[in-house]
Parts: sequence; structure tokens; C-alpha cells
Amino acid sequence: MKDYAEPLARLIEELKRLPGIGQKSAQRIAFHLQRVPREEAERLAAAVHEVKDKIRLCSRCNNLTDRDICEFCSDPTRSADVICVVESPFNVVAIEKTREFHGQYHVLHGALSPLQGIGPEQLKIKSLLERLKGGVKELIIATNPNVEGEATAIYLSKLIKPLGVRVTRIAMGIPVGSELDFADEVTMLKAIEGRREI
Amino acid sequence: MRVPVGMPLRESEAIVLRTTRLGEADKIVSLLTRQWGRLRAVAAGARRPKSRWGALFEPMTHLRAWIFERENRDLLRMNSADLIESFFDMQKEYRIQVATNYLGEVTERLLPEREANERAFRLLVAVLKGLKVSGEVNRPLGYFDYWMLKLGGFLPDFERCHNCGRDMGQGAFYGPGSEGLVCRDCKPPAAASPLPKNDLRTMALACSQPLDKWLRTQRVGDSIRVRLFLEEVIRTHAERELVTVGMLKEEG
Ligand SMILES: [Zn+2]
Ligand SMILES: [Zn+2]
Repeated sequence: MKDYAEPLARLIEELKRLPGIGQKSAQRIAFHLQRVPREEAERLAAAVHEVKDKIRLCSRCNNLTDRDICEFCSDPTRSADVICVVESPFNVVAIEKTREFHGQYHVLHGALSPLQGIGPEQLKIKSLLERLKGGVKELIIATNPNVEGEATAIYLSKLIKPLGVRVTRIAMGIPVGSELDFADEVTMLKAIEGRREI
Repeated sequence: MRVPVGMPLRESEAIVLRTTRLGEADKIVSLLTRQWGRLRAVAAGARRPKSRWGALFEPMTHLRAWIFERENRDLLRMNSADLIESFFDMQKEYRIQVATNYLGEVTERLLPEREANERAFRLLVAVLKGLKVSGEVNRPLGYFDYWMLKLGGFLPDFERCHNCGRDMGQGAFYGPGSEGLVCRDCKPPAAASPLPKNDLRTMALACSQPLDKWLRTQRVGDSIRVRLFLEEVIRTHAERELVTVGMLKEEG
């Protein structure tokens, strides 16, 4: 990395650590940031700082929020009878886009993946069980349509059905091997509507 | 399909060991191929819902792959692939998922990249079929451990002490980091309780037949203790800690 002055080289190195950013993109972004007015670059730096300072996990559903209880959990128009379980906060966004789900969420922050050292203990399952004591009627499992997501769905269903809660899985209109983040609104809506008991 | 000169296209059966994300929508697929050993290849667009690859790269899928060598690039590229057999449904059960992830991790750790090993490939296929047909973890994994060690030349002597070479008699000992079994006189301080000679002989005999034949017999509990020992030897040879071993133990 002797091709660039040290500060520029360092910025490129940091950018390359971001998901989906390779050497070429990192160079392009670094040069761009060097060229833009100082205020613009500082707005970016400040935004990063603010996220690190203010964003945390909702103490109820583990979604990302800037308050103790997130906007979904504290919205009185949303039903507390139905909880939709997802792997990541991204997935909440995908489901919200359908505008048809009016229950609450629970974010697991991952899916069962032994190769990555993720077993049941590493997921936010205990807090889910706590929430179910409050008289939840249905749990919709919207984990990704791949081996990890399916194993997680079956695991949760075995754990939770004996508690008398209806457990459903979103329909697999979403192809196996893909990720929920990529699903368009219509596909996502069909997946929720077509959910079936597991 | 055009194949530029100097960039051969390789066709082989393969098992998907794991995938990792690459960029916005691609996957890097780690494969054990029948003809070329362990490889990693990029599958472009594989994470998109309308991808032509579909579910092909879920862990342990048995497929036929056409792989393309790119000059001056580390990673190979997958041009196309056809499904031979899916092992998706059995892995919906966490217990089986842990087992298949163990197979993947050990294969990646013990087999060097781009070194043909057809017997290891056939072993992996047989073990996956065994898991699928029986729904049982213990014997398929025990069989896998035994043969992975044997193919690598690491299978310990079941009769003679690894340290002094004497007959081990009735009790064979091992401890953390062991490469073999030792006699009562040579046993390490943190040794597990001894493995009876009978268990070892039964295991060797069971593994001398095809796995499907072993699975048709009723002796399910045969191999557990010997399997744990073989797992310990695999851990020793893997050098770094194997993530899935701890998870297998939790699952019993
Ligand atoms: Zn919340
Ligand atoms: Zn000895």
C-alpha cells in the first residue's frame, strides 16, 4: 500500500472492511471523500458517531432503536397477540414494506449455524420465551429460506408449541437459498399471507 | 459455452461444504469435488431470489459443477451446476445440522486445497446418505471419523500402546491432545476412563463394511465412546479448535 499517502491508505483500508466493498470501490470512495467539502465529510463522520452512541437494542424485541422500547413495541395500534420472529433488523424493514403486518417483532440476531458457533444459546431465544408468558396467540417465524433459517424455525416450533402458542412459518414463495432482504413487497406479502402451521 | 484458451473448464461432482457471502449478491462456495479435491469457487448472483442457481448451494448439496479457472485470480468461478441430491430436509433438524456442519468443518480442516482425494469424496457422500436414511448421528459420524483418520494415515493403533508399543491389554487410555491410545503405565494425567478392547474391536469391524450395511444392524449404541476418542484425535490433527465439536457434545 505504498501507492498512497499514509492517511489515504488508512482510509482505504478501513473502507475495505465494509461489507461488499473491495479495493476498487474503497479507492473510489476514499478519493471522493477527499474531494468533497469538509462539512460533507464531517456529516458522514458525525452520522457514524451518532449511530454508535445512540443506537441500541430494544429491551423487548431486540430491534435497533434509539430508545429503550422501540417504535413497534410502543405503538398501541399494533397487536401484541402476534409476534413475527426474524433473523435481523433488516428483515423487519422488509416486512414493514408490505404494510400488512400489524403485530410485533422479535429479532433473533442470527440463525442456528453450528459452523459459525451459533447454537440456541447465542440467539435471543430466552427473551422470546419471556414475552410469550404475556399471552401471545401466534408466533410467525420469518427466518430466511435456507438450511439455517429452516433449522431455526423447526427448533423454535418444537420449543414453543407445547406452550399452547400457535406457531406458523411464512410460505416459501421466497426461493430457497436467497435472502429475505432481497424479496420484493409482493413476494413478502404473499409469504406472510400464505403462512402455515408448523 | 465458450472456453478461452488456457482457462480450462473443469467438470466434477461436488459436495457443498459451506458458503460465504461475497460482495452484494454473490457467494463463495467451498466444495469437495470428486476429481479435484477441495476448491473454492465464486457463484455470481447466488443470493438473489431470481438467481438461476436456486437452492443449489445449501450446505451438503451433492451437485455436478462446471468450474472455470481464471488467470491471475485466487478464486475459481462456477459456470453452471446441476443438482444430483439434496440433503436440505434432514438438516431442518438442529441435531443433524450440527452433524453436517461437523463433517464440513473437519473436511475443510483436514483436506488440503486442490489435492484430489476421491475416497474422501465417496466417504462424505456415504455418510450424508447414512444420516439421511437413518436420522441417526452417532454411527455415521463414527464411521466418518474412523475413515477420515485412516485415509489421512492418522488412525491410531487399537492394539498397541502409542507410547511404548506394548499390547494395551484390557484398558486403552487417551486424554486431551492425544494422537493415539496408551497403556495403563503410559496414561496421561487427564486421561478419560479407559476404552475397553472390545469396543475398539467392534468399531474396527463395523467400519470395515459399507456404512449402509452397518446401519441396517440394530446395534445403535456401539460406537459412542470410541467415536469421542476418534474426535479427540481429529481435534489434535486439526490444530486449531473445531467450533462444531463443542456443539456436538451439547447435543449428546
Ligand atoms: Zn421493540
Ligand atoms: Zn505404554
